[in-house]
This record gives sequence, structure tokens and C-alpha cells, in this order.
Amino acid sequence: MRVWETQGQRLKLVLNICVLGLALFSFSRKDTTFRSTSAFENLMIDSVTPLQRGVTFLHGEISGIFEHYVNNVSASKKNIELTKRIAQLEAEMFNLEEVQKENQRLKGYLEFGSDLNIKKILGQIVSWDSSSDYKVLRINKGIKSGIRLQSPVVTSSGLVGYIYRLTDHYADVLTILDPSNRIDGLVSRTRAHGVLEGDSDDRLIMKYVTRTKPIILNDTVITSGLGNIYPKGLRIGRVARIERESYGITQHVEVIPEVDFGGLEEVIVLVSNLDEVKKVEWEALDREDQEKR
Amino acid sequence: MRSEIKNVVAPMLITLVILIVLEVFATSLLPVFGVKQFILPFNIAVVLFFGFRFQTPYLPVFILIVQYFHSFFTVEGWEPGTIAGIAVCIVISYLRDLIHFSSAAATMIVTQIFQTFWFVVVSGLIYMRMGDVTYIVDKFWRFVPESIVISLLSPFLFMIFEKVWSMSEGGLLGDEL
Repeated sequence: MRVWETQGQRLKLVLNICVLGLALFSFSRKDTTFRSTSAFENLMIDSVTPLQRGVTFLHGEISGIFEHYVNNVSASKKNIELTKRIAQLEAEMFNLEEVQKENQRLKGYLEFGSDLNIKKILGQIVSWDSSSDYKVLRINKGIKSGIRLQSPVVTSSGLVGYIYRLTDHYADVLTILDPSNRIDGLVSRTRAHGVLEGDSDDRLIMKYVTRTKPIILNDTVITSGLGNIYPKGLRIGRVARIERESYGITQHVEVIPEVDFGGLEEVIVLVSNLDEVKKVEWEALDREDQEKR
Repeated sequence: MRSEIKNVVAPMLITLVILIVLEVFATSLLPVFGVKQFILPFNIAVVLFFGFRFQTPYLPVFILIVQYFHSFFTVEGWEPGTIAGIAVCIVISYLRDLIHFSSAAATMIVTQIFQTFWFVVVSGLIYMRMGDVTYIVDKFWRFVPESIVISLLSPFLFMIFEKVWSMSEGGLLGDEL
């Protein structure tokens, strides 16, 4: 008896080969740095994500009502304490105003960040990735809000990740906890370079740090600015473990992120006009070339 | 023929709606309760149901559609799941005579076995891409609890899908082919 004797079996074999071939081809061509979306994917993601957003919103509202009730009970006690505290703070505020003026003056001297012209977009986390293999979160801002692919994402504590996939109204953020997200980092104190990769749900590994670099526990690790994704100086985390073997040229460094991913609710997307600056530079170079000819 | 396109469209759409609801549950509701480390892979349950119950030649296309809808919720994409799903379904088609869903426990055990095979295929693909065993070990420790929960839910999920596809217990769609 032949294995593929009927028409149905032959069709099944052909379809298996075609779909497998297509999947393998697409898998091998997949870009690890970002994922572009087709018009249909864009439409579908924008259609299904409101459901995710609705669930998150509903949970927030319900837990908000409950917390509000519990908070009311202890509010009267706190009220008395806070009245005293206000009087104290009013006195401190006068001093702070002076500090603020001084700070603005010094910032003007340094011209800190003025050349970067970074736009900050606040996004709310809607959901997490459907596969636990990927440390990706979805936010409620997309192309329409001005977000671009590969824009860095931060909180006030430090670096969260970058925009990996983008639709009109939503964006997927590849967090620094994901093993495929590699960041060129710098130990703030010693200026030792290394490449950070997500290792588990709560830590990163800093690779290729030379053994001779004197790193100590709790050293702050920041972004080096290399790689064209993250600007220099964003806080990544703190050194939590160091292993130096008697052989080899590098040391094993583990870093705990500054950002508490467990309690993350909102993030800030930094969108720079660096592309526009580059475009202007290229145009200027082109003009220069044409003039020479 | 039961596997004609017009008989497949409506149940397929309902299956996809169920998948979307389950994905929303897994990606939004569980994480707000603090379950962020383990995300239940409901797409595997759907594909395994197709593998166990369907003999239609269009099975790889069905798997592709399910995985494509799954990809709206993950940056993993549709590719690894499609490859794993087709590989698992090919194995199931050869072992079909040995597989019986006589009880809920049997369904759970069979589902667990094929989820393990799914894990092996996807891990192989990840290893080819990343060349890192540590990542696969971490993935294994996440796979264990996730797959157990899916196996425990499988009798209930399969019962729902059987109703959607109007199947009798143990029946096969497209078995005339």
C-alpha cells in the first residue's frame, strides 16, 4: 500500500511542505532588533488591544474603589499628621525656591540636554506578551502619538527597554529583561564597558567586562550611548554579583535593574529628532557634493 | 464532505474569538494579579485540539491561522508555533491509533506529552537561532507549570471546541479523506 495514495493525503503533504517552508523562511529572515507590522496586523492589534486595555482598566477601577474605602478609614488620623507636616514643608519650600533658581542657572551653564531635543510621551501599560519567553509589554501609545520604532523607554527610576513593534495606537516594548535585548553599558564609577543581556525575571548579565576593571557591589550601570538606540547616561541597574575566575579575560557581572518591573504601570517613551538631524546632515552633504561637481 | 470550506469558516471564526478571549485573559488579567512570569499558552491547546481531532489536509493552514492570530499578542511571531504545531500534528497522525481520550486524566496526560514535544521543537529552533542552552533551561522551568495548567484545563477546553466544531466524542473532522 502506498503512503500517499489518495488525493487528500497528497494535498496534505503539499500543504505541510508549503506552510512549513514558509514558516522556516520567515523565521530565518526575522529581524531581531525590531518587527515591522503589515496593514492587517496593524488593524488587528489595534482592534484586540482595547480588550486588553479594558480588562486592565476594569481591574484598576475595582481595586481603586476598594483601596479608596480602606484609605478613608485611616485618612482622618493622617489628616492631623499632615497638617503639622504642611507647616514644616512651607518653611522648607522657601529654601527650595532658592535651590531651584540656582539649579536653573547651573543647567543653563551646562546646556544639559538642550541639543538632544527629546520628546517625552507617557504611556500606560496595557498588557504583557502572550509568550513567557519574551519580556515584552504593550503600551497605549503608537504612531499617532509620535512614537517611532526603536525609541528608548524609561521611567524615573531608569531604563525599561525600547519600542520593538508599533501600530497606530499601540506599541510593544522589548524590555531590558529580554535576552535578545542587548545594551552597551558602562559602570558609572570605573567607566568599564560591557554588554548587558536579560537573564531572568529580575536580573541582567553584564558580559565582556575586563577582569582588571575594579567593579564593586552596588556600582551603578548606565547606558554608554553606543548602538544608536539608547542615549548615554540612562540608569540601567546596580551590580548585584561579581565572579572572577582564576582564568579568562572577563568577569561575570550580574546587575539588578533600577526599574521595578513587577510594579510597573506607566512608562515614558523618549522620541528624539535624531533621524531628522541625520536627514538634514545627509542633505547638506549631498548639496556639497553637487556643488563640487 | 464535512471538511468543505463553508462548514469550516464559522467554527474557525468562533475558535479564533475564543482564542482572543483566552489570550486577553492570559496577557491582561493574570499580569494585573501579579502573574507575569508564567503566561498560559492557550494557542498550544487549540493547535493540539486540531491535531487530535482533525484529519483534514487543510490542517497546516488551520495551524497557520491560529498562530497568526496568536502573533497579535506576542512578538514571538507566528513562525515557531507553526513549525512546532505542524511537527506535532504529523507525529499525532502517525500515533492516532494509540491515542485515546477515554477519560479526563488520559486527555491531560496525552496533552502533556505533546506539549513536551512542542517544547522540544521550539527549543531546537531557539537553540539554532541563539546558540544558548541557559535560555532553554530557563524556558523549561517556565514550561513545566504552564504546560501542567494547560493539561489540567485541556478536557474542559477540548469539550468547548468539540461543541464549536459540532463533533461527537472521539470523532474526526475530515476523516472521509
